[in-house]
Formats: sequence, structure tokens, C-alpha cells
Amino acid sequence: MRVRMATDIGGTFTDLVALDEESGKITLAKAASTPPEFHRGIADTIRKSGLDPRTVAFFVHGTTVVINALTERKGAPTALVTTRGFRDVLEITRANRPDMYNLRFQKQAAFVPRHLRFEVDERVGYKGDVIKALDEKSVRAVADEIRSQGVSAVAVCFLHSYANPSNEARCAEMLEELLPGVLVTPSHAITQEWREYERTSSAVLNSYVRPVASNYLDSLFQDLRKLEMSGSLNVMKSNGGMASFGFAKEQPIHMIESGPVGGVVGSLAIGLEIGERNLITLDIGGTTAKTSLIEGAEVKVTTEYRIEQDARRAGYPVKVPVVDIVEIGAGGGSIAWLDPIGTLRVGPRSAGAVPGPASYTQGGAEPTVTDANLLLGRINPSYFLGGEMPLSLEQARKATGKLAAKLGMPVDEVARGIIRLANANMVNAIKLVSVRKGHDPREYVLVAFGGGGPMHASALARELHIRKVIIPPAPGEFSAWGMLTTDYKQDFTRTTVLRATDETMGAVYRRYDELERDALLFFKHEGFDTANVVTARAADMRYAGQEHTVRVPVPDGQASLAEVTARFHERHESAFMFRLEGPVEFVNLHLTGLVRVPNPDLSAFAPTAARGTATKGRRTVDFDEDGIHEAALYERGRLALDEEVKGPAIVEEEASTTVIYPGQRGGLDRIGNLVIETGV
Amino acid sequence: MAVRTKIDPFEAEIIRESLVAVAEEMFVSLQRTSQSTIIYEVLDFACGITDHKAQLIAQTNGVTAFAGILTFTVQSVLDKFGLKQIREGDIFATNDPYTGGGTHLSDVAMVMPLFYKGELLAFAANKAHWTEVGGKDAGSWTTDATEVFQEGLQLPCVRLYVDHKPLPSVVDIIRANVRTPEMSLGDMYAQAAGLRMADRRFTELCAKHGVEQVQAGVDYLLTQGERQVRLDLAKLPKGVFEAEDFIDDDGLTPDPIPIRVKVTISDDEFVADFTGSGPQARGPVNCTRTGLMGGMRTIFKALTNPDTPVNEGGFRPLKVICPEGNIFSAVRPAPVSTYWETLLNSVDLVWKALAPHMPERMTAGHFLSVCGLILAGNHADTGDLVIMVEPQAGGWGAGVDKDGESGLVCIGDGETYIIPAEVCEQKYGIVVDQYALNPVEAGAGEYRGGLGLVRDYRILGEEGMFLTATFGRAKFPPWGVAGGQAGSPNYIEVIRADGSPPNRFGKGARVHLRRGDIARLITGAGGGWGDPRKRSRERVLADVKEGYVSDRAALETYGQQP
Repeated sequence: MRVRMATDIGGTFTDLVALDEESGKITLAKAASTPPEFHRGIADTIRKSGLDPRTVAFFVHGTTVVINALTERKGAPTALVTTRGFRDVLEITRANRPDMYNLRFQKQAAFVPRHLRFEVDERVGYKGDVIKALDEKSVRAVADEIRSQGVSAVAVCFLHSYANPSNEARCAEMLEELLPGVLVTPSHAITQEWREYERTSSAVLNSYVRPVASNYLDSLFQDLRKLEMSGSLNVMKSNGGMASFGFAKEQPIHMIESGPVGGVVGSLAIGLEIGERNLITLDIGGTTAKTSLIEGAEVKVTTEYRIEQDARRAGYPVKVPVVDIVEIGAGGGSIAWLDPIGTLRVGPRSAGAVPGPASYTQGGAEPTVTDANLLLGRINPSYFLGGEMPLSLEQARKATGKLAAKLGMPVDEVARGIIRLANANMVNAIKLVSVRKGHDPREYVLVAFGGGGPMHASALARELHIRKVIIPPAPGEFSAWGMLTTDYKQDFTRTTVLRATDETMGAVYRRYDELERDALLFFKHEGFDTANVVTARAADMRYAGQEHTVRVPVPDGQASLAEVTARFHERHESAFMFRLEGPVEFVNLHLTGLVRVPNPDLSAFAPTAARGTATKGRRTVDFDEDGIHEAALYERGRLALDEEVKGPAIVEEEASTTVIYPGQRGGLDRIGNLVIETGV
Repeated sequence: MAVRTKIDPFEAEIIRESLVAVAEEMFVSLQRTSQSTIIYEVLDFACGITDHKAQLIAQTNGVTAFAGILTFTVQSVLDKFGLKQIREGDIFATNDPYTGGGTHLSDVAMVMPLFYKGELLAFAANKAHWTEVGGKDAGSWTTDATEVFQEGLQLPCVRLYVDHKPLPSVVDIIRANVRTPEMSLGDMYAQAAGLRMADRRFTELCAKHGVEQVQAGVDYLLTQGERQVRLDLAKLPKGVFEAEDFIDDDGLTPDPIPIRVKVTISDDEFVADFTGSGPQARGPVNCTRTGLMGGMRTIFKALTNPDTPVNEGGFRPLKVICPEGNIFSAVRPAPVSTYWETLLNSVDLVWKALAPHMPERMTAGHFLSVCGLILAGNHADTGDLVIMVEPQAGGWGAGVDKDGESGLVCIGDGETYIIPAEVCEQKYGIVVDQYALNPVEAGAGEYRGGLGLVRDYRILGEEGMFLTATFGRAKFPPWGVAGGQAGSPNYIEVIRADGSPPNRFGKGARVHLRRGDIARLITGAGGGWGDPRKRSRERVLADVKEGYVSDRAALETYGQQP
């Protein structure tokens, strides 16, 4: 029992990373994903890795099963029970029209149709006062109707249940008794923040995916036990922490971004190891680029998440804590195209894995970012995926040539344009998580991974005036690797609207004490020794009269009002460039509970090669504004500790290629990161 | 090394994107820092950048009706001060409805010149609905004003900041003339902060790309906008299209106001002519030319290219004809505080004229009105003065191949969020008894109109509260197309706790609601498209199952036995 294992399911591949803590040996494995029975892909990957499952002490899993069930509408028929007068809130939504000038705008359909939405008599006020007790007769009547409809899940959302959940909890309890076999989710179990539509939606989406997620985790559990894996089994949550299978079956909605957060958490682990606490992460895959910001070793978590939201669609709110990740449609497979007036655009449409970029010669006829990188000499056509997949320069040229003819420009210039536009899109995404939120990228280090991250990182960093780029070891499997560095984590939030005064601080601290008790109870229930639980507080605060809030860390104990509000003024000014004199309010109080898991030994990838063995000759590479150069080529795995790589250079490895521009220099650090000084 | 061509389309594209991003950043910052619900929830504001000639480069708005409207705001500053009197660090403020800067007094626009190395290159501008600008009634807009002087403090295009600092005397005047000085000035500072952020970003952009490239980028963007719209114009039907309708009344007398439009679309122009519409009214339903332009830019955008960001080039083929003193082009000192309803009528007229000819872009008529209301009084628990200002959502019209949408904000609003019941109760000390779809027998068609909503506010405070509201289309419901039925009206019903008969109205000013009284807000269903008898049996039965259509209507209107 000495192996830690992480598995990450992607659309195409299931990745596995395992660390043998005795020998320090790292195992990487990949197998095809097996939709819709994804759990089989995991068993396949474990078999392919050649590891003995009986040696696995600790297993953590990132999965797309929840987000897939939602986006493919493969969840269970679900009913909803609300306070009388409010069953239509789910369909009304917030009534906004993001696609403002589209007169034929179509609202997204509700996950529960009207005939499955029911009302009962009860009422709680905003202060948490019970205005009308729950009418149990009306609950029984609703239960009878639900029974006749053959649903397998029910969500319950009552007004102001964040302030007092008693009516809602009682109704859920009754429904569980009256409807055996039906999974009931009361909204307050998912979130204790106000705004009834958002809370209803969160409870409904949890209900909708619960049967699917339960079945999935049960099947996976059986598969793993069949393999005689007896260690601790965990899933990644969207908040960057882990939880048990048991918790995930009850509240699967917490797994909605289970996969992508691994890379963010892994970046933090690396940052802490090398003394960098301000990080911007960049994960470029085939279809999208994802970026997130870590400030002062703090991963940013938001509860403003919505699925299927974009510039044209309002999306569906999910008010659970999710690592704040911005995702844009710019990856290696993103297609370059001309809009009706002849302007070149890149993405968001992607060639995906099939047919893939034109150079894959699988039938793709449109030029992609990968094709452009190939034409500019940045990718080695005979060393893609370690040579498993030779790329066709000719097909890339042909596809890009069609655009070039329409634009009346040489092919190379169009290829440079494609890269420049893709980079500009990614720069804008990074600005969304940094500049737009008051963070200066110059004070951050860029951690780039995913198949495409290392290819673009140096150029993006320079554009953003970031001085240092880190390409972690095995960047292609880094998200799975990151999961090995995760702690157990659960967030507790309660809407508590209070003017911040010396008098109200007592009430605030009492509420924190309650949250702390909730946290200890939660971890006790999950089977932990409560002595190991660490908590951290934060508050959403605003100037009285404002609606939106700023998240402020709150110290433990009984810090003074002045200390808390000083932090608020500071954060507000940093984000919005001004502060006000007026009174300040608390809106939501947060408490994060953590049970730490010791980090794996990060030296597993420490460089061991002898100096001077990594060079592989030269290749002509187009560095756009920096000109065309004979770049030096290196094999990453053969670089020695501190061996200097001077740009213009290309560092190749099996699943990725790192581009180092003229004037930049890079090298491996003691834990195997490729560190690039961008010279800005 | 690659030689860069003089006008590099990729760099121009990147500059274009960056300029759009500046407007967006200003927008997000203002939304997150404002203290007025109408700004942070309803998003009744717009942020943009123009070149030094007031040509719109980029604009982000939360509500459609502000489409491209900042052009006129900046132009009014240029008209009054000229380039010579505009200095670095200035910020101008205007809410003048008659000179291009404003729409009604509640919409306060602020404009900042953007200099780089001493040269005036552009303007940043924003415009936001302040909850309070003074005037005869709390919340400033009302339905029974007879002169603009009753509608609030006028800021007739004045200098507000000098050398990056607010002028204390102007701030004092504002403070003394509004009921909620902290909130109104809070919004003013939030707007100024947004402008300063735009200034900083613009400077960074010039420093990075060079002034010449930025200007080339702006030219490229405007040319590109015009090229795009010319292509779109070519796809529109050509000819003359007319429509007539009525505005319910002016709020003071019960008489309907006739309105009409003649739209002429040719290969290179889109002309909307409002000649023949009624004269400006005694009540505050008047719209001025700036509001009308916002309306026309909105519908023109919807017809040509709803997808791309707005800029001046995209509006070049649009011409608007409207004689002065007409209801759509009122002159001083006509009251204008509910101008937006009439603006929406201008949009709806063009929509009605063209809908049968452009089914791929348009639906039957929708509930049309913002259904704006002000609820003011003391909070039942805290005793503080609270002023709620909010719009409502209603039913949209059916399309040639789709049912109408239920419960969406009107065409004048956009990324506008209805206030949650839980927030309403906490903030305003009232009870929301229901918020529900309102199935009524209206809007039937082969495709049926979407449903309106019903929302109940029950008053708790001892002293009660005052309700002012303007729900348009209370008398003339949304129109159907091709045999589709008309939708249903918007109105408010006040249900008295003492059992006296309820009263029903579209417009009301300072209606006193006592403890226990209920204001029931009802919004209309959209119009239908096509003969209801042609509606498929499956659709009728599905509607009955979901409770959208009654058994009776299924049989009598649709001819289907449920």
C-alpha cells in the first residue's frame, strides 16, 4: 500500500498518473475513454499502467460524468416542489436576454417541465421567521401526484430556506419517506445563499444528475474492488478539493468541473515548492484554453458558475463553489476562417480529435492553430505524440493556402496571423482573470500545460509582461498529476446580510462558529478525526447600497471591525479603483474546511541526465515579429539540472513542444520544471 | 525577418478587439460598483468609446434601447465646447433630453476626453439611469408631469471634473437636489471611475501599438462595420412598408395617441419616416430625437446584423425622418420622463411593418412595455426610506416556426435581470406572494404567443407605500401575424385589504397602497403567428398537459378535443 493514483477522464483519453511513494517512481498511462460507460476506461487505464491495484493506498478521480449528463440531457426525470406561488420561477429564470438584438431569441428549456413542478403551503420570511408552518397535508398530496409520474429524483426549494431551512428540511424528509427509492435534494443542502432562481436551479441540477452519478460511482466502485483495490477512494470536486464517493453520490453537482481543477491545484503545489505564490495557470487542449489565477497561494473560488452560458445564452446557475476558471474556444484544433466581410477569425469551432487538424490527414480540410504552428516550424512533424502520429506539412499548407488565396497573402503570413489571433484570444482570456479583476500580470508567474500550453506560453507571457514561465513535467498529463496534490475540502456559505458595525460583529462571529460546527460535523461524518480539520474564513462584503460584493479573507478568532473593513476597502479599491466613506455590509459568510493530505514527493521528476546530451540539431522556425531563425532543438528528458537553453530554441518531449523566443532563456529546475525567463 | 505591411489586418483586428474590451471593462466595473438596483440588476446603462469626431468605436450596453446612443452624447459635448475648450482631465455631464445628450433626466451621461501625449484622440462615455435625480416625485420619473422642470435636476452638458477632480460646487448642487444623495453621487463616482479606467487602458493601447496604428485600427473598424451593414442591407426586402398603431394615452387624459411609420428600404438606404404621428403630448410620454435614434438603431441592428459589436459604420445607411414637435421628437419644455415607452413604440412600429416580410428575423408583437414601476416608502422593518425601481418580464410573440417565449424582458431591455423575490423582501420590506406564468386565452396561433407573468407585492408597513407605474399596451394588446391572434394587455391591479373594489390601470402616479394591500403586476402574452386551427394536435395536447392552454381553449380556439 504505497501508491497514490489519479485518473482524469477526458473526451478522448483517460489519463492516469501514479506515484510509488517508496521508490519515487512515476507511472503515466493513457487509454481511450469509453463513453457512455466511462468507468470501464479507468479499469483499462489501470491495467495498461501495469501497476498492481492492491498496492494503491489512495485513489482520486476527476470525471466529466456530471457535466456530460447535464449537457447531453441524460439525467433522470426530476420533479420540483416549491413554496406556493413559485413553481414557475425555474422557467421564468431571471428573464434576461443576453442575445439582445435577436428578436427570435430562444430561452433555454427548464430541466423540469411545468407538469412536474408542484407547490405546497408554507412560508419563511427573509429574517428566517416561520410565517406559515409547513402544511403536511399539502406535502402528502404532492407526494401522491409525484408517485404517479414515475420520476426518480425530486428537488425541494422554498423561499428563504438559506435563512431558515426547517420547513424545507421537513418537506424533504417527508418526501423521502413517502417516496421510497426517489432521491430527494433540498436546496439548502446544496447552497445557503439567497436568490431563489439560482438556488432552485442548483437543487434541480443536482437532482437531475444524482441517479446517473450514483450509478456511475457504484459501477466504478465495483470495478475497483474487483481489481482488489482497497485503498481510499476519492473524487475531485469543482472547488479544488476532494471528497469521498459517498458524498459525491449525494451531491454530485460538486463534481461539475471535476477535471479541469486538477491543473490549477497542481500549479499551486508546484508554486509552493519553488516559492512562487502568485500564479496564472494556462491549460491549452485541443478545443479550449482554460486559465485561472492564484493570488498569494489562494485559489480563487466562485459561486457564480453557470453551465451553458455564453454571450448568447443565459445558462443555468449552479451555486456551488467552483474554481474560477475562464475557458475560451482556442485550442490546437481551433479552426481559422473568414467571416462574411473577409476578416480572419480563429475558433471557437474546433476540428476536435476527429477529423482533427488538416495535418493529421484524417480528413480535416480546414486550417487550425496546430497546422499554423506546424507551418511555422514550431512543431516537429515526425515527433508528434512521440512520433506515433506523423503530421503532413503538405496538408497543412494546402488547407492554409485556401485562406491565403482569399486574403491575397502568402501562406506563411496567414499562418503567423492565425497564431497571432489565437494568442490575442488567449491573452484576452488571461486578462479576464487578471487585469479585469485588478491583478497585474507582471506580478505573476505563468504555469502552462496541456498539449498546447508550452507552445504558446512564452509569447503570451511576453505580451502580458510576465517575467517567468513554468512548464511542469509531463504537461500533457498535468491535470491528473495535480489531483495527487489535493486536500479534502468543503465550503460552507451562508447569506447573512448585516451592516458591519461593532455591535453586529458578535452576530457575525456567532455565525462563523456555527459554520465551524457544520464543518466539523461534515468531516466527522466523512470519517475524519476532527482534530485534523483546518478552517479558513472569508466574507462577501460591499458598500451599503451596492449589490455586488468583493470577497475578503477574514482572520480566525475575533478580529476587530476595523481590521476586517480595512481589508475590504483595500480589495475594493484594487478591483475598482476607488473606495467610499459610507457604511459597509456583510452579505455572505464563508468558511472553508480542509483536511490536509501530505503532498507527494515532488522530486519524482528531478532531472538526472548528463549535461550536453539533450541537443538534437537545428530547425528553421518562424518566430513572427522576432524573425525566422535556425532554432536549436532539445529533448526535454535529456536536459541536465540548470543546463541553459538559449532562445531561439525548441524543447521537445512526447506530448508537447515548448517554444523559446530569441532573447529568452530556459532550463530545468530541481523538480523538473522547465523554467523560462521571458526577458521582459 | 517578416516585413510588416502598412495596414496589417491582424494588428488592426487585435486593436479592434482591445477597444471593444475597453468598453466591456468599463461596463463590468460600473455594474459591480453602482449603488442603484436599476444599474446593477437592470443594467440600465451603456459604456462606449468614440473617436475625436464622436464616431462610435465600441459600445457595450445592458439595455438595447441605448444602442449606439453615446454618439449623440459625445456630439453634444463637441457642439457645446468645441475641441479647444476640452482639456485633459475634464469630465462632462449631461442629461439634457433636447440637445442630443440625454433621453430623460434620470439618464445621466458622463464624457471624458482621451488624450495621448497631449493630443485628443478619442472620448470615453457612459450613461446610466440614476434612481434619483430629484423632481416632484421620489424616483424622479412619473406619469403625470406636465413640464420637464417637475422631472428632476437638469445638467445641461456641464463640466463636472477639472484636472481629474470633481468640481465641488457642481457636486453640491447635485447633492442638494436629489433625495438620495449618497446613492446618486455613488453612481456618479462609479461612472467617473469607469471613465478613468478607459483612459488608462486607452493610453496603454497607444503606448503599445503607437498612435498611428491605433488610428488605423479605428478606421479599419469603422470601414469594416459599414461593409458588413451594406452586405446585410442587400439581404433586406426592398420597397415601402407601413404600420399604424396607438399609444394608450399620455397619462393625463384617456385619449389614445395615433402613431405611424413609413419604412423605405432601397439598395443603399433604410429610411424610417414618422411623419403623421400625433403631436407631442401634455403628459410625460414624449420621446425626443435622441431617444428615437436609440430606438431606430436598436431595430436596425436587429434587422441587419444582431451578432457583431456596434460601431458607427454599422449605422451609416440608417436615416430617420421626424418633424419637430411630434410625439417622437418633442421639444423643450415637454415632459419626457417616461420617454422609453414611446421609444419602444417606435421600435414596434418598424417591427410591425416588416414582420410579415422578414419571418427569418422577426416574430409577432410582444408585450413591448418595460412595465416599469417605482415603489417608494419606509421599509416595514428598518423604517429607512426605500425606493424600488424595476422592470417586468412578459410574453414574446410567436415566430413563423416557433412559439413565443414566456417571461422575458422586453426589446428595450436586454441583459436585464428581474429582482429575485428574496432580495425584494429583504431590501424593500414587502412580501412577494407569487411570481408565476399567467396562462390567459390570448395569442393563439399555429404557433402561439409566449405567456406573460403575474407578480404580487403585499405591503407590510404601517404607513403603506406609494406606487408609480407605466405599463404600456394596457389598451392595445400585442399584434398577431398571418391570422395569429393578438396577445393580452399589461396592467396593474390593486387589491385592497379593506375589501373595496380593486382598481386596474396601465399608468398610475403615487397610488397609495396601505398595509395589506396587494399590487398585482400582470404582463401580457405575445401575439400568435398563423391560424390556430392549423396548430398540430401534439402541440395543443402538450400545452394542455403543461397548463399553458386550458381545455376550453384547446377545443374552442384550436379545435382539438383534449
